[in-house]
Amino acid sequence: MNLSNLRIGQKAIVLEPEEGVSVKLFEMGCLPGEEIELLFVAPFRDPMCFRVQGTQISMRRSLAKRIPITRPHGS
Amino acid sequence: MEAKQSLRIAMVGRPNTGKSTLFNQLTGMNQKVSNYPGVTMERTSGLTKLAPGQLAEIIDLPGIYSLHPSSADEAVVMDSLLNVHEEGEVDVVIGVADGTNLKTCLFVFSQVLDLGIPAVLVITMADDMAHRGLVLDHAALGESLGCEVLIVNARTGEGMEAIQPAILRAKASPHAPFFQPGGIHLQWLAALQEGDEYIYKTWLRSLSQPAHEAKIRESGRGPKRLRADEAIQRYRQVNRWLGSFLTSYPEQDRRFSTKVDRLLVHPLWGSVVLFGLLFVIFQALFYGSEGPMVAIDEMMTSLSQSINAKLPGGFFTHMITHGLMPGITGVLMFVPQIAMLFGFIALLEESGYMSRVVFMMDRFMRPFGLSGKSVVPMISGTACAIPAIMSTRNMEDGRERWLAIAVTPFITCSARLPVYALIIGLVIPDMALMGINLRGLVLFGLYFLGFAAALAAAALLNRWKRSQVKVKVPDFLLEMPEYRWPQPRNVGMMIWRQTSSFVKEAGKIIVAISVILWFAASFGPDHAADFTQDRVSVPIEESYIGIAGQFIEPVMRPLGYDWKISVAILSSFVAREVFVGTMATLYSVGDEGIESIHATLASQINPETGEAFFSLPMGISLLLFYAFAMQCMSTLVVVARESRSWTLALTQFVLMSLFAYVVAWAAFVALS
Repeated sequence: MNLSNLRIGQKAIVLEPEEGVSVKLFEMGCLPGEEIELLFVAPFRDPMCFRVQGTQISMRRSLAKRIPITRPHGS
Repeated sequence: MEAKQSLRIAMVGRPNTGKSTLFNQLTGMNQKVSNYPGVTMERTSGLTKLAPGQLAEIIDLPGIYSLHPSSADEAVVMDSLLNVHEEGEVDVVIGVADGTNLKTCLFVFSQVLDLGIPAVLVITMADDMAHRGLVLDHAALGESLGCEVLIVNARTGEGMEAIQPAILRAKASPHAPFFQPGGIHLQWLAALQEGDEYIYKTWLRSLSQPAHEAKIRESGRGPKRLRADEAIQRYRQVNRWLGSFLTSYPEQDRRFSTKVDRLLVHPLWGSVVLFGLLFVIFQALFYGSEGPMVAIDEMMTSLSQSINAKLPGGFFTHMITHGLMPGITGVLMFVPQIAMLFGFIALLEESGYMSRVVFMMDRFMRPFGLSGKSVVPMISGTACAIPAIMSTRNMEDGRERWLAIAVTPFITCSARLPVYALIIGLVIPDMALMGINLRGLVLFGLYFLGFAAALAAAALLNRWKRSQVKVKVPDFLLEMPEYRWPQPRNVGMMIWRQTSSFVKEAGKIIVAISVILWFAASFGPDHAADFTQDRVSVPIEESYIGIAGQFIEPVMRPLGYDWKISVAILSSFVAREVFVGTMATLYSVGDEGIESIHATLASQINPETGEAFFSLPMGISLLLFYAFAMQCMSTLVVVARESRSWTLALTQFVLMSLFAYVVAWAAFVALS
């Protein structure tokens, strides 16, 4: 499972991302162990906008695929 | 704190935290825009009164997510706080935090505290905190941070009076650094440490220096991994603080913003809203600026006339009324459009909607080597390339910014409109094609051509650029701020700063070129400057510019142009809209109204064919030439200023004009 598999409104816990993923992601608050929710997506589901630690961060699908997550919960 | 002539204060915080609102409140109109040393980044600073007789300089540093730089504007913050360019130590930092998003804001602030710079934390959006049911024990947080923590409402000014005294009392945090590099790192850091500086300063400086990378890797983890470790450690600390001092009542948390977003970025409704909004903005830009532009023109004309009447005739009066004044008028006439455009951009940015536009358009822009962020200059470019190019400043990806600056001049700007209107009126018949007016269709086609050329050029340049230098494109990461009502004061300050910077920087060059052009049109080799002469009148074909026109005529002949059109094109290289005026002068039309120029030009006969001089092939050739050629001195100056070198500007000038020439020639040959 990775971030790109989430459905809108679903939540999951972020796991350790792949090597080479931008550190800025960490610094913006998207850290392993934090809960993340998919809020909304652009046409073609790319980019996608998430909420983590109270911040809304949008990223491209290609980056979302490199961030593994636990089994989603929520609606 | 020792008494100093003037304190240097830096404002540091994440984007969208109300930093600029606070800055505008603290400094009022005492602001100036300059450049950071070594980079093109704009630097806004202002003066504030700390106590009677004590002024301090406040620098509004760009919004950052971390002190470790990921982009050029973030590097500026690190450089300023570490005083890399020795412009002066920062005495006090005002940390700005959004009360509704304290976690990520405290992350950055804890980095600042670890630098050992005296600091004050100002938490904004007090009203939003109350709405969300957030209660912060700020005194206890201050105790843990080792600095004063103030809660203010920057919009109403509530609590603001406490900031200045707090700045004067500020001292470096007495606590141990919140982030502790451990083991092997501490050893090599100690070796790099300069004097008794704070260890985090050394850490911050050395992680961004490629020279230290090998040394860092000896510890088994690369610099990126170390930054990530730092982030994890800091967020752990921040969560401990907030766990103890922040109480929230989540049932009052409405998340209004998310509901709005479900509509505004909806695949269908989102696009409808976006294009509706763009349509309204275009209409306002074209029609709303018309009145003020005419008013400025008339005001300057009557001013010229009264100057002409009051001053004695001769060289200098003529230079003022025919060279200097038209130049100044040309600068001032841009002002309404630039001011309006920046007003709209400020509204879109302040409300948080701009991030949504970038978000929605990103996928579409990707095949051209651009991202959603390039939509902003492309939209602005339909008004004028100058503010459009200035709007690329906040782009993180240097390659994309370079691409956007390079291709924006292809976008059909408002200066091309009068030229298009004149030529379309001359050569395109006024008839309907399947119920659509043919002339309108051609005009629409020219706008489309502008966008297509810009995107195609971006795609080509991107391939070239990537074959030249292999740089990793930074991951597209964009914060989506919550929707907020725009602050009229912030919108006003943005308009004021951008417009006055245009008038000062680009304005002086436009005026200088205008005077040079006046000289070239008023004098010729056989008509030396006569300072005593009452009137300066040289037949246009004997002036320098007329001779130049006849000189380049052989070059322009394959495109179907005679020497007069060549002169008009030549003078259009100062600014496209000059075309209409030059044509008017060349064909000796007394009245410069567009109808009479049109009538005169329409009656011109081609001596070779005996048919109308402005034929369809020549007209189309002219339209295409104006669509693609880089005929705007002001844009070239701004490109050079923004890219900090003349290489890009001159390349644009040569390549775009060559391309225009080839396309115009091909069209002329194919049609005749």
